[in-house]
Amino acid sequence: MIPYTIERRGDTQVTNVTLGVWLFLASEAMLFGALFSSYALLRVSAPDWPSGRDLLELPMGALNTVVLILLTSLVLRARRLAPAAAATRLWVASALGLIFLVVKAFEYSSEIGRGLFPSTNLFLALYFTLTGFHALHVIGGLAANIWAATGQRRVGDAMTAGRVQALGLYWVFVDVVWLAIFLLFYAS
Amino acid sequence: MRVFSTDHKVIGLQYAFTSLAFLLIGFVLILLLRWHLAWPMDGVPGLEALIGKSRAPRGLLQPEFYLQLGAMHGTIMVFLAVVPLAVGAFGNYLVPLMVGAPDMAFPRLNALSYWLYLLAGLVMLSGFFLPGGAAQSGWTSYPPLANLATGGQTLWLVGMFLLATSSLVGSLNIIVTIVQLRAPGMTLMRMPFFLWAQLVTSFLLLLAFPPLQAAAVLQFMDRVAGTSFFMPTGLIVSGQAVQASGGGSPILWQHLFWFLGHPEVYVLILPALGIVAEVLACTTRKPLWGYRAMVGSALFIGVMSFLVWAHHMFLTGMGPTMSTFFQVTTMIISVPSVIIVSALLLSLYGGSIRFTVPGLFALAFLPMFGLGGLTGLPLGLAATDIPLHDTYYVIGHFHYIVAPGTLFALFAGIYYWFPKVTGRMMNERLGRVHFWGSFIGMNGIFFPMFLQGLAGMNRRLFDGGRTYEIFEGFDGSFRGQAWSAVFLGVVQLFFIVNLFWSLRRGAPADRNPWRSTTLEWCTASPPPAHNFDTPPSVRRPPYEYTPADGDMHGVTQERE
Repeated sequence: MIPYTIERRGDTQVTNVTLGVWLFLASEAMLFGALFSSYALLRVSAPDWPSGRDLLELPMGALNTVVLILLTSLVLRARRLAPAAAATRLWVASALGLIFLVVKAFEYSSEIGRGLFPSTNLFLALYFTLTGFHALHVIGGLAANIWAATGQRRVGDAMTAGRVQALGLYWVFVDVVWLAIFLLFYAS
Repeated sequence: MRVFSTDHKVIGLQYAFTSLAFLLIGFVLILLLRWHLAWPMDGVPGLEALIGKSRAPRGLLQPEFYLQLGAMHGTIMVFLAVVPLAVGAFGNYLVPLMVGAPDMAFPRLNALSYWLYLLAGLVMLSGFFLPGGAAQSGWTSYPPLANLATGGQTLWLVGMFLLATSSLVGSLNIIVTIVQLRAPGMTLMRMPFFLWAQLVTSFLLLLAFPPLQAAAVLQFMDRVAGTSFFMPTGLIVSGQAVQASGGGSPILWQHLFWFLGHPEVYVLILPALGIVAEVLACTTRKPLWGYRAMVGSALFIGVMSFLVWAHHMFLTGMGPTMSTFFQVTTMIISVPSVIIVSALLLSLYGGSIRFTVPGLFALAFLPMFGLGGLTGLPLGLAATDIPLHDTYYVIGHFHYIVAPGTLFALFAGIYYWFPKVTGRMMNERLGRVHFWGSFIGMNGIFFPMFLQGLAGMNRRLFDGGRTYEIFEGFDGSFRGQAWSAVFLGVVQLFFIVNLFWSLRRGAPADRNPWRSTTLEWCTASPPPAHNFDTPPSVRRPPYEYTPADGDMHGVTQERE
């Protein structure tokens, strides 16, 4: 058994899982930081830049923003619940994540139907790449939600509580990235 | 031993053997290239039979294949051989033992990191079997050429993406293990320098690799989805306008690449310094001189290495303000590196040096790394970098850092920890042949590069510059390099034989054959499944060597 998987270490005051998730998010911040830096560099050197409101489905984007925030608040509230109840919340949150992905798929098909491809211009190239990358993170989060919810009986309450804590941090990060995407693409 | 094991020792060995195999592949690729440069008109003996008439008629390298050799040599050596050996193998095997832990913090993620790495390597190498061949745009894959290159480049990008994921998981694991699983009594300042080096290295991998991962995704989109992230407007190739929406920036790739690329240099060198520190302390039988200064320097290098990347880009027309900034940060980062090497050098003073094979490799590391480091200074200043840029001088510089530098340290580490891993010693005599042969061979290859580069020879010339009058006198040096490379290859056979022979037939070693003081020597060789039969505790600093002892034993952590 690896020490400090469940209980906190005395001098660092964290569990392995908590530290691991923060490090993971630091790495993720560098990943999206690089993508957003690319956005900034390409945009400032572009002679003209299309308006996102003209090209993208603002209502669907706004709907998805609400869905994601709802999802994250569910996971965050699950952190204070008993693990069995938390597992139920994770299932509900996962259903919301699925809704997010369905809406996103409708958006993509609408854009492609209107002849807007990644190769059309840099704005759309960035839009498809960044939202696609973000959607992969939603899928990853869904998988993690389900993994934590189904694992609850097998690994016990203490371990699940740690996993739910970690998931809360992760979903907040996914939200922050989405808000940045919403502002830079849909609302620009 | 299970193949899909989550034991850090098994994963460490999987990393070790895989990365050594890649090291050999990378070496064979460049051996072909060096032979070709020495005799560009004569062909490489046996090559036609090996890879087919269409790729090498009469053994003559075709230009496309020449470019693949160079690009894949660099990629393999940096990403698939040296870093996985230094961090994947040494880090995985030794970090839990040195901190006194039963395993890594996340054993399953650890296994994932190895399998992703293996997959990444195989994906990249599989490019050689495509009709257009493997990636051929240099290990740096600069667009727009890389955007337009054959399919092997797409595999390179997929491989790089997988590798970045593998390195994320692996480095995160090492950090959590060092921070969380240290044995009771092992305060930060009682950690062996090796652990500090692994810690800083892991932070570099954790934070510097994602931008290259992002860049790989963008280049992948450029190639597959037809985007123009790196495609400028109005690009004309071979008289034809390239079909792309344009507006992209090839310089953006360079920024993202070197944002990883420079910290990567320290990823290559810090674990090597860590190994040399351990081996030298044991070889000289005394504590490291200036341990605290070394730790501080390693941390400072970690931070500064994120602020120097554009010194690879002085020729992009970045303007004097930017270039001044990066010249200043580059000169600043050379200070902590010099502090560490000086501390290691001063550690020899008053020591009672034992010239064992690991000791020889570690001792030779110091002047070789010094040569590589000092020849780097002119490249950090724009005025001298501009004429030297893209010449063999640059190749000479970084190969002195990585080959007789880092690789020597890694060899030192292999000879040093082999008895811990196997319970047997490696053969001393074969080891000495390996050391002296490698020392001569490597210098024979890399030293002439400084002279070729100073004469202005470009690093990528297919015929070694035979068409230029000014390079006429360099035929001899190219041949010397080719023979040195062949010699170096022959000498490595002594290492390979020694490795496998000693596995079975080496002299049996007890748990601490070098009489060393750090925690990994306080358990059986090889260590049991959970590393320590009784949880260890740490009572004193890492290098309490006492030459005054009659039997010259160090004071291990076990002694009360």
